[in-house]
Amino acid sequence: MRWGMVIDLKRCIACYGCQLACKAEHGTPPGVFFARVLKHEEGQFPSVRQLFLPVLCNHCEEPPCVDVCPTGASSKNDADGIVSIDPDVCVGCRSCMMACPYSNRYFNDKPQHYFPQGPTPFEQRRGADHQRDVVMKCNFCKDRVAAGKEPACVANCVTVARVFGDLDDPNSEVSRLIKERGGFPLHPELGTKPSVYYLPA
Amino acid sequence: MDANARYNQLIQDLRMELRPQREWGDGKGLYLVVGHFFNGLACGAWLFSLLFGQTTGLLAAYLMGIIGGVTHLMFLGRPARFWRMVRQQKTAWVSRGFLGLSLFLAGATLYLAPIYLPGLLWSEGSLLSTIGYVAAMLGMIGIMGYMGFVYTASKAVPFWNSPLHPALYVSYSLRGGVAVLFVTSWLVPPAKDLTPILLPLWGGITAVVALLFALEIHGALTGGNEAARRSVHDLLAGRVSGYFYLGTLALGLVLPAYFMYAGMSGATTTGLMALLGLASAVGDFFMKFSTLRAGVFLPVWTHLSHQRR
Ligand code: SF4
Ligand code: SF4
Repeated sequence: MRWGMVIDLKRCIACYGCQLACKAEHGTPPGVFFARVLKHEEGQFPSVRQLFLPVLCNHCEEPPCVDVCPTGASSKNDADGIVSIDPDVCVGCRSCMMACPYSNRYFNDKPQHYFPQGPTPFEQRRGADHQRDVVMKCNFCKDRVAAGKEPACVANCVTVARVFGDLDDPNSEVSRLIKERGGFPLHPELGTKPSVYYLPA
Repeated sequence: MDANARYNQLIQDLRMELRPQREWGDGKGLYLVVGHFFNGLACGAWLFSLLFGQTTGLLAAYLMGIIGGVTHLMFLGRPARFWRMVRQQKTAWVSRGFLGLSLFLAGATLYLAPIYLPGLLWSEGSLLSTIGYVAAMLGMIGIMGYMGFVYTASKAVPFWNSPLHPALYVSYSLRGGVAVLFVTSWLVPPAKDLTPILLPLWGGITAVVALLFALEIHGALTGGNEAARRSVHDLLAGRVSGYFYLGTLALGLVLPAYFMYAGMSGATTTGLMALLGLASAVGDFFMKFSTLRAGVFLPVWTHLSHQRR
């Protein structure tokens, strides 16, 4: 099986719900964004439009970030296609950040909490497993998925713009949407074979 | 830069479509440039010192290899785990570079010990010394290759993602090696003056470096994408152009070229040649620094905008 995600750009309203849900789920420190929403303006007044693009690690089938990792900290699980980082093994060389063409990796050397008074009890609890001076990224909420739940960004998307499922199953909703609605990945020309697809707006 | 300033910088960068890379070359990332710089010099100096039988050059190469290794460690977020970097020889150039540097330092120790501590350990020409010679050679090749290929494998930064980068880094190494010999020949004058050989050698390698660099810039401007073109702009007319013009061109090319001209016209001293070597090496440092800092990430938007039109 290969876990994948489809994001419907027609439905996304750039509410940042996914970004916040991800922050709450993983307790990521400032400067680390497993999920982000990009905004972009096109055209000139009066015919201007705003485009929204929610991004996260694409869990590429051919991940360049894994190839360049010297320690094996970055790896792809062949059983489900999830690319993750072992924080106990990462040496913080940041080669993977230079190899990920989607800028979805973050070096955790920034503040470890959001408020000047110190970490909140929530941050302390959620961030207990985070290590400093290593690289972090989205892991498709693999613990939630193993427990039969959807990733936090999918479960919390108010417009139901995100669908999660098995890309290897031709009858899954993700496969059907990609086929019927012309789903496309980002930068397919790079040969990374992302597992996150977008449906055109 | 403190953690809060880095955070603010990141937030500002994330809003840009063409985002400059800052992990390598900025802040603690400067150690990586310094590491590449010293390891490049070490490899070139080792090669030419062997060729010209310069034991002082060999010692200088060895010391610079150590400095390069230490600064590489200082760059890592978790240096205590450094030994893990040897694991992915099949795919990762950093692993190959780590193995190369380890081989080089171990081999150079075995090879230099009988030269600098005669009669104490094994002798020159012994099996251990020969093993050291071969290991240091293999390590030297590994380091020279690793430095360029590590950038070529960086898919996120199109400017570095050029097949010419490895050749460029090998030629920097060779140029650096000649530069080191200029300096060591001044510090410990060799039996035979090397200037008549080193001067044209330096000129020839510098011409190759300049050609490869011009080809790389041309390739980025004509065949590269938006990010590669932005990098060239940042290098030649943007945020890192000061380092490029002053450090790379003025200090690293014009000044040593003048010294070379003076040397060729006969008015030469080993002190002047040492200055040439020093200026050339400083120029190489700025070349590496400015091309690293000019790196710009591939924009995520490119394909999407195309889809929507
Ligand atoms: S999106 Fe980037 S970090 Fe994620 S698997 Fe692909 S290359 Fe690796
Ligand atoms: S920073 Fe960590 S995960 Fe990334 S390449 Fe280096 S060791 Fe691997």
